[in-house]
Parts: sequence; C-alpha cells; structure tokens
Amino acid sequence: MREQEGGMFQEMHGRDAMEAYWHWLCSSLVGEPGLLWRLVDQYGTPKEVFCAGEEELKKRFPRSPKGIAGLCAKRREWDFVREREALRRKKIAFVSCEHPAYPQRLHAVPQKPGGLFVRGDLPKEASPSIAIVGARACSAYGRSAALWFGRELAREGVQIISGMAAGIDGFGHQGALEAEGRTFGVLGGGVDICYPEFHRGLYMRLEREGGLLSEYPPGTRPLRHLFPQRNRIISGLCDGVLIIEAKAKSGSLITADLALEQGRDVYAVPGRLEDPLSVGCNNLILQGAGIALSPAQILEEMGITPKFVGKNQGSGKIALEKAEDIVYSCLGLQAKNPEELSAEAKLPLVEVLRILTSLELQGYAKEIYKNNYIRVL
Amino acid sequence: MFSKVHSAALNGLEAYLVRVEADISDGMPQLLMVGYLSSEVREAGDRVRTALRNTGIVLPPKRITVNLAPAGIRKAGSRFDLPVAAAILAALEKIPGDSLKDIMLTGELSLSGQVLPVPGILALVEAARDGGIRRCIVPEQNVAEGAVLDEMEVIGVSSLAQLIELLRHPDQAVRVRVDTSRLLENQDYTGEGDFAQVNGQAVVRRAAEVAAAGMHNLLMIGPPGAGKTMIAKRIAGILPPVSLEEALEMTKIYSVAGLLPEHTSLLVGRPFRAPHHTVTPEALAGGGRVPSPGEISLSSGGILFLDEFPEFKRSALEILRQPLEERRVCISRTAGTYIFPAKCMLVAAMNPCACGYYPDRSRCTCTEQEVGRYLGKISRPLLDRIDICAEVPGISYEELTKKRENESSAQIRRRVEAAHRMQQERYEGLPIHFNAYLNGNETERFCPLGKKEQRLLKNAFTKLNLSARAYYKIIKTARTIADLEQEKRILEQHLLEAIRYRLPEGAYWGKDA
Repeated sequence: MREQEGGMFQEMHGRDAMEAYWHWLCSSLVGEPGLLWRLVDQYGTPKEVFCAGEEELKKRFPRSPKGIAGLCAKRREWDFVREREALRRKKIAFVSCEHPAYPQRLHAVPQKPGGLFVRGDLPKEASPSIAIVGARACSAYGRSAALWFGRELAREGVQIISGMAAGIDGFGHQGALEAEGRTFGVLGGGVDICYPEFHRGLYMRLEREGGLLSEYPPGTRPLRHLFPQRNRIISGLCDGVLIIEAKAKSGSLITADLALEQGRDVYAVPGRLEDPLSVGCNNLILQGAGIALSPAQILEEMGITPKFVGKNQGSGKIALEKAEDIVYSCLGLQAKNPEELSAEAKLPLVEVLRILTSLELQGYAKEIYKNNYIRVL
Repeated sequence: MFSKVHSAALNGLEAYLVRVEADISDGMPQLLMVGYLSSEVREAGDRVRTALRNTGIVLPPKRITVNLAPAGIRKAGSRFDLPVAAAILAALEKIPGDSLKDIMLTGELSLSGQVLPVPGILALVEAARDGGIRRCIVPEQNVAEGAVLDEMEVIGVSSLAQLIELLRHPDQAVRVRVDTSRLLENQDYTGEGDFAQVNGQAVVRRAAEVAAAGMHNLLMIGPPGAGKTMIAKRIAGILPPVSLEEALEMTKIYSVAGLLPEHTSLLVGRPFRAPHHTVTPEALAGGGRVPSPGEISLSSGGILFLDEFPEFKRSALEILRQPLEERRVCISRTAGTYIFPAKCMLVAAMNPCACGYYPDRSRCTCTEQEVGRYLGKISRPLLDRIDICAEVPGISYEELTKKRENESSAQIRRRVEAAHRMQQERYEGLPIHFNAYLNGNETERFCPLGKKEQRLLKNAFTKLNLSARAYYKIIKTARTIADLEQEKRILEQHLLEAIRYRLPEGAYWGKDA
C-alpha cells in the first residue's frame, strides 16, 4: 500500500493531491462534520490526517472512537486512482473547500462541508440565490405558491436552491424549471441516488439544467439523520430562505434557524389561521421573519429590479372577454372549484366550465388537481 | 312407432333447435335416452315416466328410445322434459302425430305432472322463429316472456294433462299477446331516489347528465360522504328510454341467467347493478363450466356501478378492459365460445386517497407516495376507457340542510331524451345507439369539426398533453354536449366543456412534472 501511495505522490501534485486527500476525508467521515474539522484543525491538512498513526488518532480523539475507526478502516482500503476514476465514471465532480470553485457563500457556514460532490453545475457566485423550502405534505395553496415563487424568481435570474424533497421543495424546483431558470438540489444522500424515487424526472432535469449537490460521497443512503445537516448547506448557499408551509415542528424551521445563524434573510409565506400547515410560517413572521407576499416584493427587498415580474398582473392588462375576465378575477392562489366560481361570478356553471378551459388554454388558469383551479400570474 | 318434436337448447345467449325423437319397439322394456346428454337431461326419462303415470298414462312394457338430434352437440338443462314426454305420447299414439308438426316445446316436469318454468325462454322462442316454427308451447309461468315476439304464437301449459288436451284439440289453444309498444311507452323510471334530493354538487350533476345522454363511462372522485353513491343510484333514473331491440336483449340476458321474475314479459327498466368490491373476476365478467352472464352483462343496457373502485381486485378490474372496448364478453370453453353483450355504462366512484380527503391537506394524512399508490391501483388502460371524470367535493352543512328547489330527474331526463333522439336520427340503421359507442373512424365520420374547433383542439392537445385516446373521448363527449343543446354541429363551447371532463393526466392528480 505504501508503494502505491508513492506512485500517487509522483502522479499528483499540488491541488490534485490536495483534492484527493479531501476526497478521502469527506468520504470517510459521513455525517460527522464536527470531527472532520477537529481533525483538520489538529493536523493542518487532510494529508497530515492521512499520514497520522492509528494509535495516535485514537489517543487524540478518545471521544469519537467510531469515527476514528471508520476513518482508519477507510484509509486501509483507499485507492486514490480507483476512487478518482470511479467518480469520473459516474460523472460526479468533487470540489473541496480549498478549491477556488467551492461556493464562497459556504465559507461563512460553521462546520462547512469539507467538499461537495456535484452532478451538473455549481451555483454561480455572482447570481443571487434563494432557497425555497417547506412541508413535504403540502396543500394546494403551498404548491401553487412554491411554483409561483420558483417560477417568477427564477425568471429574474435568481437561482433557486432546495432539497428536492417531496412537496414544497420539489415544486420550488419545478417552478424554476418552468421558467427555464437555474435551480440546484442539495441532497441528503449521495448525488447518484434519487430520493424520493418518484422525483426521478425532476432529478434528471436538475442534473441537466441545474445541479445536484451533496457533501456525502456517492452511494450514501439518504438517511434521516443526515437531512438536518444537509439543511445548513441549503441555507448556506443562498442569500435568503423562503419558507412556504411548515407545521409547528418542521425541518424547514431548522433551515430557518440555520439561515439566521448564517446571517441570511428569512421570509415566510403567510397562511390561514386554522391551517396546521401555516403554524410554522406564521410563527416565523411573529418572530420577525420577513413576510413574503409576492415574488416582486422579495426581489425588491433583495435589491433586484424586476424585468418581467408584474408584467401581466392586474386584470386590465390582459385582453380577455368580459365573462372570462370576471371568472379570472375570481381565481386566486387558493384553489377553487367551478361551483364556488359559478356562485362568485354569478355565471351559469356550464359557462364557467367552458371559460375555465379557455383560460387554461390561454395560460391564465391552471387545474392543479381535478376540478380545482388557480390563477396563473 | 316413431315420432318427433322440436325443442331448443341454449348456447350462451343464443339458442338452436333440437329435434326430440322417440321410437317404441319390441324388446327389453326400458326407456333409453341418447344424443350426447348431460346427466340432468338423461334424468328426464325417469321424470317423464313418473309424470306420465301420475297423469294416468302408464308406459307399455316396450323398448322406448329417445334421441336428441343433432347428436353431436352436448345438451344440458331440464328444459327437455316436456318435449320428451310429448314425443313419447305421440309414439304411443296417445296424441295425433301431426299435432306436433311445427311446434316448439320446452319445459320441465315435476313428478306429479306439473310443468315448471325454465330459463332462457325468449332465446328459445327466437330460435324457433328463426327455424321457421310459428307455434311454441312453454310453461305457464314463462308465457308472457315468450309472447314478446309478436309474430309468434306462444301458448302456456301448467300440467301434462293440459298439454295432452291442447295437442288433441289444437284449435282450443289460447294465444297470449303482449303489447310491447305500450310497455315501452310506459317505462318506469322511479329507480332509487330523485335528483331533486341532491343538494349542491352542480358539477357532478352536469357531468352525470352528459354521461347519461351519451352513455359515457363516468368516474366520480371525492371524499367519503360527499354523495357519490347517492348520485350514481339516481343516474339510472335519467337514462334515455329503452328501445325494443335493447329491451329484448336485456330480457334475454336476465332470462338466461334465471333472474327474470315469473310472469314478466319484457324488461323495460334499465338495470342498475352494484356488485360489492369483493366480487370475483368470474362473477363480474361471467363464467362457470357452462358460462352464465356476469355483472357486466347483467348491467348491459344500464349501469354497472363500481363503488370504491380501487378496492376491487386488480384481476377483476382488468377483466373489464376488453368488454368495455368491444361491448361484449367472449368466454371460451371446450364446448364452444359463449358471447354475452356488455353494453353497460360504467359508473365508478372512488376516494382520492386511502383516507379519502386528499387534496385537503388539513384532513388528509397520506403522503404523496401513498396517494400515488392508491390511485395507481387503477391501471391507465382502464382509466382510458372512461370518458368523463368529475370531482365530487365534500358538502358543507349549509348546502346539506338548505331547502331549495333542485332540478328533478324528470326535468333532466327530458333533456337527455331530446339528446337521445338526436343520436337516433344520426345513427339510423347503424348498430350504434349512443355517442359513447363510436370508434375512431366513426368519430371522424359523425363528429366533423370546423376550422375554429380544430384549432382549439390542436391548442389543447399540445398545451394539456392529451393522448390520442383522450382526443377522441373529448370529441365524443363534445358531441353529446352538442346533442343536449340540440346543436347539429360541435362548437367551440362544447369542446371547451368536454375538455373539462377529461381524466387527470400523469401518474396522479396534482403531479405534472
């Protein structure tokens, strides 16, 4: 093994070698960023950690026997060339925290990831980023809000960061993709594993049109205890976090707390009083989080002049027939069914049904599930 | 002495003539039954012998041979007792031999000499008519059913003695007549409940009306207690009137299944069948060693209501695919292929998820995957055979208790009947009764679209990701909507409404990625 390493040293110089050692360290310490940074602080570089004796490591870190044992086990079987080839084969890039491509925003994160495994692209430093997070079991209201914010913000060039989870996360990504914007998914497992499985389509689009990021090596199962840690990367990568729907105890609130620690803006979309999915968001607003009323308002607070948002807001600007206009003005973000619309617009039901199809075909309304419609802004 | 008489045997819904021959000769005294008989036909010999004795006729100690021709086809059922008795009587010269000429006989005998009813009379009488026979003698309880065919002379007998009397004096026969046109005019629509009792639910009411007018298959989705079952039961009451052709077919199916009440002549009410979700595939599609019609055939001409759609066994549901497409069920057995009609209108009701409240997230406890799994229990090919889909939202207390004038079934039915007349005129002389029966070619022939309408549909096709099947379904549904408005051409507004009733695309509601 020593001879092999000798070969390694000859082959890899400077940055390549450094990246290789970081790759090893990050792959060895899954879910233990605390230990990782204590090791690096102690030894200076991952290379020094690699060269340290097993007994010495055990003596210096008596409180993390499991982590050290894992580290040493990994070190014994680690083959730098093979691992590097394995990454290349899977089309995964590794960027350590000392690499210039490493997202600058993450440097501000306490216990930042030692490196990122990336499929697709990394977020651009110069573009503003917003994280859209929220409940997995979201309502139609949350769904339409996530799609709306995702779409409108992405259209203005804001990068949408989220966790590719079911519910709000997925819809945030989806909104951004609809606007052909850039969006990035930070995964709680290896970037080669699509979780949840039914997001396969989204996963493939993110890989092509945005990026998939993770601090965990490929093949890491998406385990429950890794998700809260992952949230610090989501908040770390963005300038502001937008929370859409969260129950009183929600993972999204962890993201909000982390964002505040990291000095990011936190916005919450207000919800209805009696709705359990709104409690978390409304509490955040009570505690002083920014209230998110529209993409335009968020953009304004971020200091971005909207180019597109608000272009077709206000019914006067759309050329619709009178009856269509009435129905359109009755539609909102909260899904309504044709019966409610018929009562509100004081039009016969059959006509409302026809107008809804017409509006949908013109792109002003959307049927988000059977017989429930929202306005498209 | 040799004699012969006609009877008929059933093969699925169709019957064929059987010649019953009897011969009496010298030899060992016995009654010999031949002609590829199942055991219940073979037992006819003992029944006939005893019934004759109890009527006062003792068989002589001679060799009696009875043959059922054609001898190559297996015969089953108890309906040959009466013709066997008649053939033996003629062979014994107890009745004049020529009295059996051009007569079809059918019926079961009890040991006392009573004549008992048998199933499938209408099909048997029809076979006699097609075989050039004008006169049928059937059990008294079945005479009303047989007499439905106007050109046939159908006579009922209740005992063997009466049969003998009748054959000795054929001119004394009392022919039973049934006025089918009056029966069809006075169709009974009461069904179960009236639409006037349904508060709110305007969308489903409309969807049900459109579905009934064109006999389109309908799927209702909604939370528990929203009124899906209530509405389904009332749809039977707004269906268009039954034609003679349909009534005959329905009667035949029920008669063959042995479900026709005694002394009923013609079924003029459209059937409403609601099998429980534990139903087996065989019970749904028809089956058995000698196949009998299943629920899908029993509901032919009416409604097959499947409540709790996803709870049905997958194997049972998937068996519906072919019958819903071809509107008939084909069952193959070694003895032959049996074909039953399946022209039913499928009305299915389901909850949107296991707990029933999705997408109301304040009440639904299912995860997206669970919702997907629940809806995934129904395969896409089956969903593709459903033309109209409507959501039945939960109903509020105010709506529920509000006293107001709802449209009654009779009012809705008037519009449906008008739409039905439009269809009758359009499909005159064709085997198509309703818009829903059109296939792709026929849709293009009978439902031409104007330029504007084509543009609209093209726009919808690309914007809403429609499938080819959905495309035809929309046109067919639009045709029915136009019929409801007595409009000869399909206009934009009809298409716009029809598009509304399409099935949710994608793996499940609310997912479009």
